[in-house]
Amino acid sequence: MPKNRVAVIGVGETPFRPNVIDKTYVELAQDAAKAALNDAGLTPDDIDAIVFSMAPTQFMGVVDVEKWTVDSIWASGKPFMRVHTGGATGGSALHAGYSHVASGMHRTVLIVGADRVSDTPDAQRILNLIWDPFYEQDFALNTITMTALATQRYMHKYGTTEEQFARVVVRSRKNALKNPNAHLKGNITVDDVMNSPRISWPYKLFDICPRSSGAAAVVLANEEVTKERCSRPAFINGIGGVTSTVFMGDRVGPYSDAELCDEAELKFAGGEAYAQAGITDPMKQIQVVELYDPFSSIQFPQLESLGFCAPGRAQFLSDDGSFDMGATLSVNPSGGTLCSNPIGVTGLVRVADAALQIMGKAGDNQLPGVQNALSTAIGGSVQFANCTVLGADYV
Amino acid sequence: MTDTFVLGAAMHPPSAWVADKRLEEMVFDTAWAALNNANVDRKELDHVTIAASDELDGRSISSMLLSAPAGAYLKDEIKATDSGLIGFCLEVMRIESGRFHLGLVSSWNKSSKAPFEDVMRMRCEPFYTRDIGLNMSIADGLFAQAVSRSFAIDQCEVNAAVHASYKQASQNERGMQAEVPSVEAVATSPYVSAPLRKLHQAPITDGCVSMVVCSGDWLRKHPDRRALAKVSGLSWRIDDYQLGEKRLSSLQGFKQTFRNALLMSGLQDASQLDVIEIDSQTSFHDLACRRALELPTDIRISPSGGPFAQNPYFCTGLVHAVEAVLQVANQAGSVQVKGTTRAAAHGSHGFAQQGNAVAIFEGA
Repeated sequence: MPKNRVAVIGVGETPFRPNVIDKTYVELAQDAAKAALNDAGLTPDDIDAIVFSMAPTQFMGVVDVEKWTVDSIWASGKPFMRVHTGGATGGSALHAGYSHVASGMHRTVLIVGADRVSDTPDAQRILNLIWDPFYEQDFALNTITMTALATQRYMHKYGTTEEQFARVVVRSRKNALKNPNAHLKGNITVDDVMNSPRISWPYKLFDICPRSSGAAAVVLANEEVTKERCSRPAFINGIGGVTSTVFMGDRVGPYSDAELCDEAELKFAGGEAYAQAGITDPMKQIQVVELYDPFSSIQFPQLESLGFCAPGRAQFLSDDGSFDMGATLSVNPSGGTLCSNPIGVTGLVRVADAALQIMGKAGDNQLPGVQNALSTAIGGSVQFANCTVLGADYV
Repeated sequence: MTDTFVLGAAMHPPSAWVADKRLEEMVFDTAWAALNNANVDRKELDHVTIAASDELDGRSISSMLLSAPAGAYLKDEIKATDSGLIGFCLEVMRIESGRFHLGLVSSWNKSSKAPFEDVMRMRCEPFYTRDIGLNMSIADGLFAQAVSRSFAIDQCEVNAAVHASYKQASQNERGMQAEVPSVEAVATSPYVSAPLRKLHQAPITDGCVSMVVCSGDWLRKHPDRRALAKVSGLSWRIDDYQLGEKRLSSLQGFKQTFRNALLMSGLQDASQLDVIEIDSQTSFHDLACRRALELPTDIRISPSGGPFAQNPYFCTGLVHAVEAVLQVANQAGSVQVKGTTRAAAHGSHGFAQQGNAVAIFEGA
C-alpha cells in the first residue's frame, strides 16, 4: 500500500508540431511547465521537486539537456532528477514523480519534458544507434524495422490484415481532429493509408507516427494539497512497470517468458497496476485508454495483454467500432502517439491525456462519465513497458 | 529519518581500463556480488533502479542492453541519468513510497571507452557555451578560480591536499592504490585550465557499484537478515546551469543539500557525523567543501581517499555511499574509522557541481 495518496492536479501540453522554429528546447519545456502550474493553480515556489522526462538527447543534440533546462523551469535550488527509459520515459518519469510524493518526502512534484525529434534530419539513423555496434547496427535495424518484424509475427499468429491496422490510423487521425495539440489529424480513409508509401512491410508511411516537437508537464500533489487546489483531480491508483531483455529472439518461441508480438510484458505491468487499483475487469471498469502506439499495429497486442479482450480479438473489436470515441472502450481519444510523438515525453503525454479525461478537461475530446483511465508507455526493443491507472476516486 | 536499509553492497575492482570485460559483464558481476553480499536471490527483488549515462556508455538507450545484467529482467525498472547517488535517492523514494520493499540499485562508468571530454563538451547549450569549448576541466578550472577567492585557497594548500588524498587512498584496498605523487610533482604538473593542474584532478576510472536496499517492513519480516546500515537522511538539489560568480563561488547548493540531509537525519550540523565522503573531483573541490561545511578537525573526511581512490565519474557518489555504509557497518577494513556510527556520502554531477546529493547512514 502506498504511504500517501497521489493525484494529478495540473496538466500542460504545447502543440506538437514537426518543427518549432520560434522556441528553443528550454522555452518549450518552460511553456509546458507554466501551463501545468497554471492549471494546478500553483506558482513555481509551490513545487517541492522536479522530475525531468527526456529520452535520447541525440535527436536535439545537447547531452544532459535537462541541466540546461533548469534555469527555465524554476528548478534551481530544488531536488531535480531526470529519468530515461527510451520511449517509455514519460511513463517512468510519472512513476518516479509518484514515488516522490507517495514517500511523503515531497508535497508536490512537477514532471516535465520536451523533445525536438525533427531537429535531426533522420530520426531512424539515430535510432539505429540503440543496437549492438558489432552485430545489429549493420542490419539497418531501427524502431520501424524492429516493430515491423514483431508485427509480421503477430499477423501470422492471428491473421490480422494490413487493412485492419489501417482502420486504427483512420480512427486515430479522426480523434485527433478535436485535439488542438495533435501533430497529425484529418479525415482519411483506409485507402489513403494503404496507398501511402511503403516503408517496411507491413508498414506504410501512414502506419507510422510523425517526428514531433513539443513539451508536456503534469503536477502531482499529496492529499492535503490536492484537497486545497483541485476539485476534480486524477488519482494515481495503480502503477506497474517491467523491463524485458533487449534480445528479441529470446522473446519468441515456446520458452519465452513474454511473447514479443503480444507485447506480453504489459501482462506483468498491467497486472501489478490493476491489483493496486482494484481493476478486475478492465473492459467494464476502464472507460478510456491512452496507449503508446507509434505504429498502427501495436494497439491490438497492448489491449489484449492488458486484458481488454482475448488474444487475437482486438482486431475484430476494432473493426466493429468497439474502440471508437464513446464506444465500449475509447482508445486514444486524443489521437495517441500515431498522431503526436515527441519521443522523450510521449509517455507523459499519454498520462496527461488520460488525466484530462478524468479531470473533465479534455475539451472537445471529453468523454462523459470517465471514472478510470489507463495510460501506457513502451520503450527500447519494445522491452520497457509501464502503465498507470488513473481514477476519479482514490482506491 | 527513513525506514529504508542497505542490506548488501558490492563494487567492481576499479581500473584505469577494465580491458578483460565488456561493460555488461562488469555490471552483471557487480550486481551478482551485491545480491550475494545481501544473501538475497534476484527472484526476491520487486524492483530495480539503475543510474547511467548513454553518452558515457557509448550507446543510445544503453539500458536496453544493461538493464538485464543489472538484475532488472522482468522487474519494474527505472533509470536515472544524473548520477549513481541520484539513482540511490530515487531507489530510497521508491521504497519509502510503500509500493516496493526490496530493490537493487546499480550504477556504472566505463569512460575508458568513451571520449570523456567530448561528451562533456556536448553538454554545452548551442548558443553561447558550446562555441567557446566549455568542458568539464574548463568548468572545474572556473570553479577553482572562484573558490580560490571565496574560500581563500592557495595553490600550496591544493598541492598538499592532492598528496594527502593520494596517500589516504593508497591505504584503501578497494581503491586503485595508485602511486602517491610528491607535492612537487603536483605543483609542476601541466595546467589543464588555470589554476587547475593535471594532478589536481582525480583521474577517471572504470567502475561499477550495486547496493541491495530494503524497507523496514521487509527487514522485520525477515529477522534472520541483517542490514548493513539504515538510511537516516537524504537530500539532493540542482543549481543554476549558468556558471555565474555566485554559482561558482558560494557552494550554496552543496551547503543546502547537506543541511537538508542533516535535518532529515535529526542532526543539527555536520559535526555530528563521524565520517564524510566528499565527491571532490579536484582538490579545489575538496578544500572548498570542507570549508563550506565549517567542520571541526576531528571529523574524518574521505577516509576512503575519495575520488583519488577510485573515480568512476558517473557513480563516484554511489561509491562513496558504499564506503559510508561500510564505515557504519564496521567493515571498511584498512580505512575503518573506529567507532563510526554516522557517515555521510556526497555525490555531485553537472558542470562545476551543478547538482549535489547527500545520503547519511547510521548503523542498523
